[in-house]
Amino acid sequence: MDLLGFLFDGFSLPFMARAAAVLAALSLVAGVVGVLVNLRGLEFISDGLTHAVFPGIAVGFVWGGREGLFLGAMVAALVAAAALTLIARSAVPTDAAIAVVFTAMFSIGIIVVSRETNYAGQLQQLLFGRLLTISPAEVVQTIVICGVALLAVTLTAKEQVFRAFDNTGFDAAGYRPLLLDLLLNGAIALVVVTASSAVGTLLVLGLLIVPGAVARLVTQRLWLLFPVAAVFSGVAAWLGLAFGFAASVDLGIDLPSGATVVLTLVSGYFVALLARLAVDRVRAGRPRSEVAS
Amino acid sequence: MSSNPSPVRPADGPALELSAASFSYGREPVLDGVTFALQPGEAVAVIGPNGSGKSTLLKGVLGLIPRVGGTARVLGEATAPAGAVGYVPQTEGLDPQFPVTLEQVVMMGRYRALGWLRLPSRIDREAVERALDAVGMTHRAKSRFGELSGGQQKRGLMARAVVSGPRLLLLDEPFNGLDQENRDALIGSLERLKGRGVAVLVSTHDLELARAVCEKVLLLSGTQVAFGPRNEVLTLDNVQRTFRDVGVEMDEHTVVIPGHEGH
Repeated sequence: MDLLGFLFDGFSLPFMARAAAVLAALSLVAGVVGVLVNLRGLEFISDGLTHAVFPGIAVGFVWGGREGLFLGAMVAALVAAAALTLIARSAVPTDAAIAVVFTAMFSIGIIVVSRETNYAGQLQQLLFGRLLTISPAEVVQTIVICGVALLAVTLTAKEQVFRAFDNTGFDAAGYRPLLLDLLLNGAIALVVVTASSAVGTLLVLGLLIVPGAVARLVTQRLWLLFPVAAVFSGVAAWLGLAFGFAASVDLGIDLPSGATVVLTLVSGYFVALLARLAVDRVRAGRPRSEVAS
Repeated sequence: MSSNPSPVRPADGPALELSAASFSYGREPVLDGVTFALQPGEAVAVIGPNGSGKSTLLKGVLGLIPRVGGTARVLGEATAPAGAVGYVPQTEGLDPQFPVTLEQVVMMGRYRALGWLRLPSRIDREAVERALDAVGMTHRAKSRFGELSGGQQKRGLMARAVVSGPRLLLLDEPFNGLDQENRDALIGSLERLKGRGVAVLVSTHDLELARAVCEKVLLLSGTQVAFGPRNEVLTLDNVQRTFRDVGVEMDEHTVVIPGHEGH
């Protein structure tokens, strides 16, 4: 199969086109939100959110089937985001509190799902996603929710960056950070919810954190971080989908699509890391006069 | 220095006025019994050992630490008017790897006045240029903030604090570990700001700085030890009472405090 065929053939199939649409929306938003997660150092909180969303998804799924899934996840995620924002403001050691609350919620989710007869299959879908069986209605849902998350962070981007850089200076400027934190944690929660159905609750973290980390390796220019992260995750998601499709059609190997996409992202991270190390080494080897210019 | 300068009218009264003020995070006051006034164009040095409440006082004035007793008027208001007070924090808490340039940091000082949802305009960029020029850092405008030396970072944060034309400027230990060139640059900037009627409150344990820019001195040791004109307050007796737990020696120019850099 030629390169163009590899990149584009699969996407003429409706289920592949839907997967691509969902991933395109997700990558763009996860990239932008992920840069702020990176700058604020919110990786652990994001991890907590992915665990917290799970019981919501599980309860929604058990009560309302696929239609209930989004609603349940959304409620759980927004409640968790608000709880996190408040925990982070209190004197409780944040990491321990997050770990306690959210592993508890994850366990509740597993117990809820385990009451269902088709336990194993459903659990697998929730944990690892079902990228290739997304319905047209879910595509629309995903795009709308991603749009809301994107608005929440882009409209407050300059304040988010100020707070990330210097939270004392931010407070001293007369800002009250509660609203800003709620918006960012809420946006993270929305990304987690939408990404959960695509790549599963356990793999969301890759989509949210890897693009931001790659952008930090690629550039030190602040406002360039956001498009770099978004474009990187979009390209990696596309390649991951195409690779999974080619492996299935040409080689007869069925790769789980969500995991394939995340592994493509991670591969991209290592490429960027090696490139960064190489560039740094070349620069360090130069005569001093050039470095100082 | 700013597109919206705030000319100080003499009738405005003190920029800062505290009476028996105490500040606390919880139940126990961290700092109490603070009574002093700071006039426009005047500088007060806040001097005391680590943990004496210097940072607490600055954060209390900013409204970041609750006042639990006494009264306070900041620029004539009960709480600091948003954006009207410039603040130069210590640089130690800032991530040197953060991908932000010096001019982007200074622009942050415009955000509050600019408001939500609005992007900086030409007016804001010009204000940033003037602020950088005023602290002599124009040549490093495009440098990453973390690449600058400690003193240059301080001057950058100074530019950020004044870029919106505050009438009251608070500096938290601005001279820690600075070389002579950066000290001179900061002292020069402070003098010019005072000349324009800006009131300055600076925490330090550097008597040389206090002598260079501050007319008055406030000695703190969990509570107020003394306040008044520099030469009346900086007596050996007062300084020993302020630093009684750490031990202190003092001559014409220097207080030697164990554990601190003795300038």
